[in-house]
Amino acid sequence: MPDPHQNLVSELSRHQHEHGYLTDTAIREIAEKMGLPMYKVYGVASFYPHYRFTPPPKAVVTLCRDLSCWMAGGGGRLKEMLSTLPDVEVKEVSCIGRCDAAPAGTVNEIPIRLNDYEQVVIWAQNPDLLEPPKPTSTPNRYAVDPYNTAEERYGAIRACLKGERTAEQVIATLKESGLRGLGGAGFPTGLKWELVRKEAARPKYIVCNADESEPATFKDRQIIEEIPHLTIEGMILAAFVSGAESGYFYIRHEYEKERLAMQSAIEDAYRRGVLGQRVLGTDFNFELSVFVSPGGYVQGEESALLEALEGSRGEPRNKPPFPGQKGLYGQPTVINNVETLAMVPCLLQKGVEWWRAQGKRGYAGLKFFSVSGHVNRPGVYLIPMGTTIREFIETAGGMKDGRKFKAVLPGGASSNILGPDKLDTPMDFKAMSEAGSMLGSGAMVVIAEGVDLIEAGANITRFFRNESCGKCVPCRLGSTKAVALLEDFLAGKTGAEKLQVLEDLNRTMSLTSICGLGQVALGPMISVLRNFPNEIKARADRAQPKS
Amino acid sequence: MSSPETVSLNIDGKDVTVPKGTTIYNAAKSVGIDIPVLCHLPGLEPVAVCRICAVDVGARVYAAACLRQAEPGMKVKTNTEPVVQARKTLLELLMADHPVPCEKHKELGSCELELLAEKEGVAASKNRFAPPPAPRKLDHSAANIAVNHNACILCDRCIRACTNVKQNFVIGRNGKGYVAQIGFDNDMPMGQSSCVSCGECMVSCPTGALTNVGFEAHLAGEKVDIEWLSKLPIFQGISAAFLQRNEGAVVKRPFKKGEIICREGEFGNTAFYLLEGKVDIFISSPVQRATKKDTRSFFGIVRKMANRLTQAGRDTEDPERMKYIPIDATVDLHLGNPTAQLGPGDLFGEMSALSFYPRSATVRASEDCVLLEMLRPVLQILQKNPAFKKEMDLKYKDRALANQLRSMPIFGSLTPEFIDELRNKVELVKYDPGTVIFSEGDPADALYIVRIGFVKVLKLFPGGELTLAYLHRGTYFGEMGLMGEMVRTATCTALDHVEVVRIKAVDFNLMLEKFPQVRAEFEKEIRNRQEQTKAITQIGQTSDVTMRDFLDQGLMKAQSLLLLDLERCTRCDECVRACADAHDGITRLVRDGLRFDRFLVATACRSCTDPLCMVGCPVGSIRRRNSLEIIIEDWCVGCGLCAEQCPYGNINLHPFDTREDDPDHPGMKKAQVRNKATVCDLCTEHEEPSCVYACPHDAAHRVNAQEFFTRHYVGTPKTAAR
Repeated sequence: MPDPHQNLVSELSRHQHEHGYLTDTAIREIAEKMGLPMYKVYGVASFYPHYRFTPPPKAVVTLCRDLSCWMAGGGGRLKEMLSTLPDVEVKEVSCIGRCDAAPAGTVNEIPIRLNDYEQVVIWAQNPDLLEPPKPTSTPNRYAVDPYNTAEERYGAIRACLKGERTAEQVIATLKESGLRGLGGAGFPTGLKWELVRKEAARPKYIVCNADESEPATFKDRQIIEEIPHLTIEGMILAAFVSGAESGYFYIRHEYEKERLAMQSAIEDAYRRGVLGQRVLGTDFNFELSVFVSPGGYVQGEESALLEALEGSRGEPRNKPPFPGQKGLYGQPTVINNVETLAMVPCLLQKGVEWWRAQGKRGYAGLKFFSVSGHVNRPGVYLIPMGTTIREFIETAGGMKDGRKFKAVLPGGASSNILGPDKLDTPMDFKAMSEAGSMLGSGAMVVIAEGVDLIEAGANITRFFRNESCGKCVPCRLGSTKAVALLEDFLAGKTGAEKLQVLEDLNRTMSLTSICGLGQVALGPMISVLRNFPNEIKARADRAQPKS
Repeated sequence: MSSPETVSLNIDGKDVTVPKGTTIYNAAKSVGIDIPVLCHLPGLEPVAVCRICAVDVGARVYAAACLRQAEPGMKVKTNTEPVVQARKTLLELLMADHPVPCEKHKELGSCELELLAEKEGVAASKNRFAPPPAPRKLDHSAANIAVNHNACILCDRCIRACTNVKQNFVIGRNGKGYVAQIGFDNDMPMGQSSCVSCGECMVSCPTGALTNVGFEAHLAGEKVDIEWLSKLPIFQGISAAFLQRNEGAVVKRPFKKGEIICREGEFGNTAFYLLEGKVDIFISSPVQRATKKDTRSFFGIVRKMANRLTQAGRDTEDPERMKYIPIDATVDLHLGNPTAQLGPGDLFGEMSALSFYPRSATVRASEDCVLLEMLRPVLQILQKNPAFKKEMDLKYKDRALANQLRSMPIFGSLTPEFIDELRNKVELVKYDPGTVIFSEGDPADALYIVRIGFVKVLKLFPGGELTLAYLHRGTYFGEMGLMGEMVRTATCTALDHVEVVRIKAVDFNLMLEKFPQVRAEFEKEIRNRQEQTKAITQIGQTSDVTMRDFLDQGLMKAQSLLLLDLERCTRCDECVRACADAHDGITRLVRDGLRFDRFLVATACRSCTDPLCMVGCPVGSIRRRNSLEIIIEDWCVGCGLCAEQCPYGNINLHPFDTREDDPDHPGMKKAQVRNKATVCDLCTEHEEPSCVYACPHDAAHRVNAQEFFTRHYVGTPKTAAR
């Protein structure tokens, strides 16, 4: 059976881990060793941002350039300050999932906050001063954790294996609860599991998508660190229901601390006998391991993720077929988000009634939300579905320094931007969609007065341009041309009337792109143009102050 | 037998029933609806990356018709206003980055992107999108195919052609996002990659990203049928369409018994591949040198000096001298009897075709025969073709390698059995012009023997660099590193299209072990080289002075200048006479040349540090001896290339008469004027050059340029002012 840990991506990662970078000779040798054409090895190595082709300097400093960090001032002067230092490399990167500590960055992959420039310079010169972070030892207790003590964990799967609950019952419960994919797309979970269960092909796979990379999204990070056992149990349940025997936990490489937490939780599960061969003495087998992503937002797209797991360039596949029919190695695969899987044990243990009762205003259940931007206490909150945007901002400590609310992205960087008129929209898939945006990945960015929304929209568009895999024409060229146009407009080189082109481009990209990245890339920018018509006028006024 | 499952759907209002698994594109085609495509090419597995064929199937997003299979009850719309608008916007995006017209459209009017844009009414002049921020690179490294990334739309057709159609596995996609592009192997220039020039990628390319390097020339001869050609074993695997585009560069040539196919010394730009029959390949020019003798005119009134030929004296005794004449074919010619026979499957004229060198030998049909004559593009397609390469390698190893080894005195004692054994172990390796084969200081792992082309051997010295040699066919290099400290002692670079035989260190060492005489020869050779290096190093150490005048006149390159001190010289021409006396009556010295201060730099060989004269000699008859002077061997065929290459006009051609076979009248002889080249050899067999010895006024000096001028001019106001 093919093994992702022996694939080309793993081989490249191992080589880089050992030698610091990939040389021409290394590429040749790996090609020879693995019996692959050289173009394939180089094609894969040059696709992923984590691989480098030059020897690493003493310190590599990364500065996050995306929305929440950008609003917090980003790297500011740091880029210039650091670029003169010897043996220091500085580069701007896409969101690293530390938006609650914006402006964020890393020194040799250790997350840091960028607000104290002098301190960052000292770290860059002496990277050994920074300790690699360890998982926190006193995690929070969440309402979605049905287990009061560590001993009680894995009760849901125990019940299934004892015959107290059948696979059909699990599916029925999931369907009844209305649980939907919490990674952004919102596909009904019960239906997904049922589809894979019905597939005759063997083997089947379970993949957990922990590649959370959308700007402002970091809820999975906290779930992995604090309640990894719930996600693991969700994966075991998915395997039990669908008939899979192996699973992979695909995590972004920037989440090292979280990887350690997950790794030790998996080891714990093996010790308890809920993972491995003959789970709890039954005929059920399930092996689970962690796979570290070689990087890139697009890997969060499920079929691109599968390509990476197979050791190829992480380009999204044409669909259909969907992963449920032909997923990893062309086999039926359940691929779910960290949070979706973590919710399953609680649904089974506490029941649908309890679940429904957790929501507000007639909406069902609980959900983790990350909030960043202009709020006093950015972070991850488990809140009832149906909570309004206004209420959630209050939960997060209210507007930062009492500033006036201007706009909000309710569901991550790919959700449309809403104005103050939508503050009372309940946070739920349907309600958010009716309000003209989406719940997405459950990542809210709150924007106060003073931020130029055209600039913000351009920042988001730039993110999608940077992260486009380049496979299909609409996304590769569309995102590039859109950014070029916006930058020309922001630089005063072109008039506002030209921005109308974006409407047509957005339509084309959303209709013809292969994956969600290209389909939503211009959405947020378009929503600014549509929902905030005054922003353009305000820019024009600022550009030509009245005498 | 059950009837195959079918699917019924509706496309643009037409009901269609197709077998299950049919794509929307094919289903539409079956009812006369042509959905435009770019990345799709029937015969290749669809990838749906250009999205031009996106059609409305009633879902949230469009479906790619080339890939998406027809589903029961599907309602497909291929031409609604939104579908057409999306298609036009995609074309507009592609056209914003496309050079208009691209190479392909300019030449053939067949760029699929430009044609489709025109058809859909997407005007280049009305493009709403920004042009690319910077042009992408061009790759002209491959002999037959030009790569222009600017015209590439990343349709992946070449990738599928290379890997799925031809199984060559060379082309892939590199990088990510907007900077992604196609690449060869490990992102190598195409010409240096493992590409076999099958041409399938170029034939599959919809735009001008991969184009045939233009070749207008058409050879005279019988036009070949491409289909017949592509069935020849040596053309196996080469795309017929690619051959079609090089149609004019290969012809079929029948020759009658006795007809001359090509003549030594003439310039040529084609190679010949023997299909049927046999040919003789030989050097008709006598292996002799030009000398002067007194002749009288018919009436005995006018006495004149005429050139004649004599057998060389000292050169035949030279241990460095080879026993075989290297020629541009799969065989070498023995010095004693320079003639051989070639048969079907043999190739000659490779170097002429690749680098336009003069013909090295005369070829005559020894029976009625048929040849393929080809220009460089076709030869290069062949050379990259594994089937052909294998055949040539075998032939070479079978025949020429043994000769080549035996022709080099150093390998004289190898037994035929050992050569047989070695034959299976050696590799033939090709290098493109300018490629460094190894650099000084690199680890030494092999010995090389030149098969085709010229290799420049360059050594760094404290005062600069010295070209030790331009190695031609039948010479070897790399032994110094193997026998010394296992690092390369000089840098060897391919000057033109070079092919070498590579003998791995382990096999070389085995040879030394088995044949003590070979070892002894090599050791002797190495001592000589070390002496040479020492001498040069001493020269180099005094060379920290640069003088503009000197450099301007190219004098700095010289290691040995003949200087005439004009304050002492009485213009008596004793030096010129002495030179003639020392060289069988033909002077190699002319008392004329550049002036520097009070010195005249006479026209005589300067044994340059970079002896360009050695480049291109088709028979390897000009070489540098270990003692650094340059000599011309007797088997010179008089092509005149060395004289042309010498920047200082110091190589002269001396005409002489000979009687040769008359091609127009087989069996008859006719008078022919031929040439032999001469060059100053520094009279190395004497104490000092004859010219210097003969000067009664102590005005002639042979000096090392840098040394001499350093001694005389350092510190003078002229140089100090710089």
